[in-house]
Amino acid sequence: MSHDTHHAPVASKLDLAPERSDLGLYRPDRTTGLLDWLTTVDHKKIGILYGAFAMFYFLVGGVEALAIRTQLARPDQAVVTARMYNQLFTMHGTTMIFLGVMPLSAAFFNFLVPLQIGARDVAFPRLNAFSLWAFVFGAFVLNASWLFEFGHLAGWFDGFAWHQALTYTDFAPANGWFSYAPLSGTFGQANAALQSPRFTGVGTDFWIIGIQILGVASLAASFNFICTILNMRAKGMTMMRLPVFTWMTLVTSFLIILAFPAITVALIELMFDRQFGANFFNPSAGGQPVLWQHLFWIFGHPEVYILVLPAMGIVSEILPTFSGKALFGYPIIVFSGAVIGFLGFAVWSHHMFTTGLGPVPTAAFSLLTMAIAVPTGVKIFNWLGTIWGGRVRFTPPMVLALGFIWMFMCGGFSGVMHSSAPADSQQQDSYFVIAHFHYVLLGGVLLGLMAGLYFWFPKIFGRMPNATIAYIGSGLVILGFNLAFGPMHYLGLAGMPRRTHTYHAGNGWEQWNLVATIGAYILGIGVCIVFGNLVWTALKGKKCSNDPWDGRTLEWSLPSPVPEYNFAQSPVVGARDAFTEHKHGSKRIAYENDGGDAGVHMPSQSWMPMLAAAGFLFIGFGMPMMSMGVPHAGWIVITGVGVLIAGIWFWAVEGPGGYMLKTPVEGPAPADRPSAATSAH
Amino acid sequence: MFSRIFSRVGLLAVPFLALVLAGCSKADLQVRQSTLDPKGPVAQMQYEVFMDTVWLVLVLFVLVGGLLVYAVIRYRSRPGDSTVPVIEEGHGNPLVEIGLITASIGALVFIAVPTLSAIWYTDDIPAESVPKSKLSAWYGAPGLDKAVADQVLEIDVVGKQWWFRFEYPQFGLTNEAKHSVPNEMVIPKGVAVRINLRSEDVIHSFWIPKIAGKVDLMPGRKNRLWIQADQVGHYYGQCAEFCGDSHAYMLFRCEVVEPAEFAKWVAAQKADAAPVAPGSKAEQGKNLFAAKSCVMCHNVGGHFGAGAFAPDLTHIASRKSLAGAWLDNRDPKAQLAQEKSSPLGTEASAPVDRATLKANLIKWIGSSGVSTGADGKPTKDVKPGNRMHYYKMFNVAGLRETHQTMTADELDALAEYLLTLK
Repeated sequence: MSHDTHHAPVASKLDLAPERSDLGLYRPDRTTGLLDWLTTVDHKKIGILYGAFAMFYFLVGGVEALAIRTQLARPDQAVVTARMYNQLFTMHGTTMIFLGVMPLSAAFFNFLVPLQIGARDVAFPRLNAFSLWAFVFGAFVLNASWLFEFGHLAGWFDGFAWHQALTYTDFAPANGWFSYAPLSGTFGQANAALQSPRFTGVGTDFWIIGIQILGVASLAASFNFICTILNMRAKGMTMMRLPVFTWMTLVTSFLIILAFPAITVALIELMFDRQFGANFFNPSAGGQPVLWQHLFWIFGHPEVYILVLPAMGIVSEILPTFSGKALFGYPIIVFSGAVIGFLGFAVWSHHMFTTGLGPVPTAAFSLLTMAIAVPTGVKIFNWLGTIWGGRVRFTPPMVLALGFIWMFMCGGFSGVMHSSAPADSQQQDSYFVIAHFHYVLLGGVLLGLMAGLYFWFPKIFGRMPNATIAYIGSGLVILGFNLAFGPMHYLGLAGMPRRTHTYHAGNGWEQWNLVATIGAYILGIGVCIVFGNLVWTALKGKKCSNDPWDGRTLEWSLPSPVPEYNFAQSPVVGARDAFTEHKHGSKRIAYENDGGDAGVHMPSQSWMPMLAAAGFLFIGFGMPMMSMGVPHAGWIVITGVGVLIAGIWFWAVEGPGGYMLKTPVEGPAPADRPSAATSAH
Repeated sequence: MFSRIFSRVGLLAVPFLALVLAGCSKADLQVRQSTLDPKGPVAQMQYEVFMDTVWLVLVLFVLVGGLLVYAVIRYRSRPGDSTVPVIEEGHGNPLVEIGLITASIGALVFIAVPTLSAIWYTDDIPAESVPKSKLSAWYGAPGLDKAVADQVLEIDVVGKQWWFRFEYPQFGLTNEAKHSVPNEMVIPKGVAVRINLRSEDVIHSFWIPKIAGKVDLMPGRKNRLWIQADQVGHYYGQCAEFCGDSHAYMLFRCEVVEPAEFAKWVAAQKADAAPVAPGSKAEQGKNLFAAKSCVMCHNVGGHFGAGAFAPDLTHIASRKSLAGAWLDNRDPKAQLAQEKSSPLGTEASAPVDRATLKANLIKWIGSSGVSTGADGKPTKDVKPGNRMHYYKMFNVAGLRETHQTMTADELDALAEYLLTLK
């Protein structure tokens, strides 16, 4: 196949003549503005889009959390109905995990991994765009259930026969983020139309298809990152010279491709139970509800490490930078990350200690769960070792990273407490568990991700966030967080069960629930200040230098914001912490002009990833509408499958394209380099 | 400069923590559903293992947390420090790493040993408890079936959306025999009891924090646990697995009584309801009980025998709670006084208060599944989504749908009837 796309080298893609794909259509390469963002295959732009969507959904999930806390502020309140409360905590959990933390981690993967390994993009740029849009549409489908719910409450559907025929009218999912069958499934016998009676309404169908679509996005992205990290490292960037964040991305990606198939299978089975009269989890037809729990948690527990490991990677980058010292025990930090990933698949049944596993499996999973504390502890010891003997500079990212260690340590400690099955039988499904995993996921992961945002924002936008506002916002986050979730340890030990929309006075839970609610509002204000600070910085912040923190890894050797081709010349790395060695040590980064006079080969932009992903939008709406009994909704699903196949087909036949960009070869590749000698060729 | 602010903030945390600790009293650890106030060997064992983990974690917290704070303060950068980072490859120190890993494993063994022993202890009744727990050893009343005399007391717990049904098969108190016990179980003090758990719809979980940690009720699967309570009293339990709309309302009670009292209670449960006085308001209520189709789901021993789906109402007026134990039938003021006058830790309970019970009955019946109440205004279910839709009962039977409501007078009569069922 010939490509007449290799134009004469120029400095900007906008200077090139419009280019036709093998389909004969114009490629959307020569665009700016919105069209550029919609069709981009640039890993940096995709990363920024991931980040923006993730922050939006953090706020959505946060509003849901505040509604939950408002309802629980006082006993016997009726701010929301029981069902609305159940919908709120279901969507809060699902949103924070799948639409908040995971995409924000993905934002860092996207932006940083190619820069840290000295590559110009990920291995499959269009697949990367597909992952993004599948995530965006999956997230939309999941949250569209709220639109249906409000439509139902407002009475929009009252006139329709299908609406009058519904037994259950919850449109937003109310089955918990874990969706235990048979509550999420069916009971009794299927009728002639292969419909079994259910315990919940179509909200569960939105949840099933939404998570399924998000799973496709995560899987595609993970394969992409594994290929990128294994194949596209710069010369000299051996595996044991990889920045720890990239290492953790690799481990996380493997976790995703090994864990998500389990939930994919479980979701398909549940969908077949609900919509096609199958009986995987239907106890009255011989199905096994406990099977769902095994399938869900063998995904769900690695998922916890999918959420945590990227934040650990971020912190492992920040601590050495601001301690002025290499990461203590790099090999063992990397190894313990891999061990955590491995052991993460061996502890799932500790979520099921109360299901009557019997003493032998309970003991085995109890001991394995304790064992996973060892590699986690090793990480904390090595972070401590990194600070030890260093010169700690206090900056917003460093303070947040220290906050991460502290809060994560507390969450880890309460985790050790319920690794012991007998103790857990009193704590499971109580507020103690809520306290535990919020210390891990909010105090830990969110602080880690916020630290990462403050750390790399100058690189992403070339602008420096205001430190004072950062400290105020982060301080409120830490204060509010501890006020909100600290008392929940007590509430759980005082016997308050999770997922209950109200409680009576007289159980001794009143005052700490009120404190928790006040804390939640302070936390909310803190998050708004931090996000506001970041958004303002991205648009109008003070410009800063390319390497404001004295960074250690390759991305800091690039101009800020990073040019679309990343590296004008490919770096040749001679050490771990390559840029520190380059600036202060003896092992300089060499550069080789791999493109020659032709310039840098850039991938072409494309509409096809988004078109293919749009098929999911139709499928995502069609499946729940079929479940609602909306006439002819099956055609929407079929249309969706058609769009998906058409998208992939056109994607295949439009050809990869690509064009050459002339880059300033002799120019300032690493701008802050003290000596220019290394750019000589 | 920031490090100074940082340590000041740290210092502020000390009085704050002291304030929190001072705010905790013994009473806070003995609240109704506290896991920190065990009243039986199972909860005691779970509590002791928990405390082992607490001590371990506290030591680690002080050590690791202390080192972290020390390192951050000790190694903060000071004015005049070199800004050039230390150049080294961070291999770490193998001795330190191996030492810390070994120490971590050692620390975990400290909790692993009690954990393992507690897992087997809580799994089944220990052999030494069996002889004194056999029915023949403590159940003094006559009429004990020889076949069961050698067994410990067994209680079948059935979970439903959103209430618990308790059955005592050794005494013929079962749903089949039209003698089941909803929402409030009774056990004798000081002996081991085996609990068999199953569910008729979704997953529920059986949890009386002061007596034992939770075990799930799985549909299509039989689970069990054993419990023992060593102090007479009124204990509070709750479903601990999310089970749908009204999960928060799925509570239950456990009354622990002296063994002699237990035999009396069994006899009382087996008795049928007394006949209602002819011409009384209660009789009018009894007729409504049939006419409004309550009878199709509810059993009233001696009066109506068709219902097996919903809670048995034969002794409803003797129960201290209603609606999955969400509504309390005791006089709230008397109960509060009782709790205040009793020494901490005993589970005192006021008796059933007739007026409170009646108000609860009217509230419950008057709202369940009815779109408009007796006053013509829309009502809200006490338990949203509950199955008590008496106005649709005929529809369920496939005959015809009748949308009926109850007048205030009818509600009153029905409540009067139920109040006679002691």
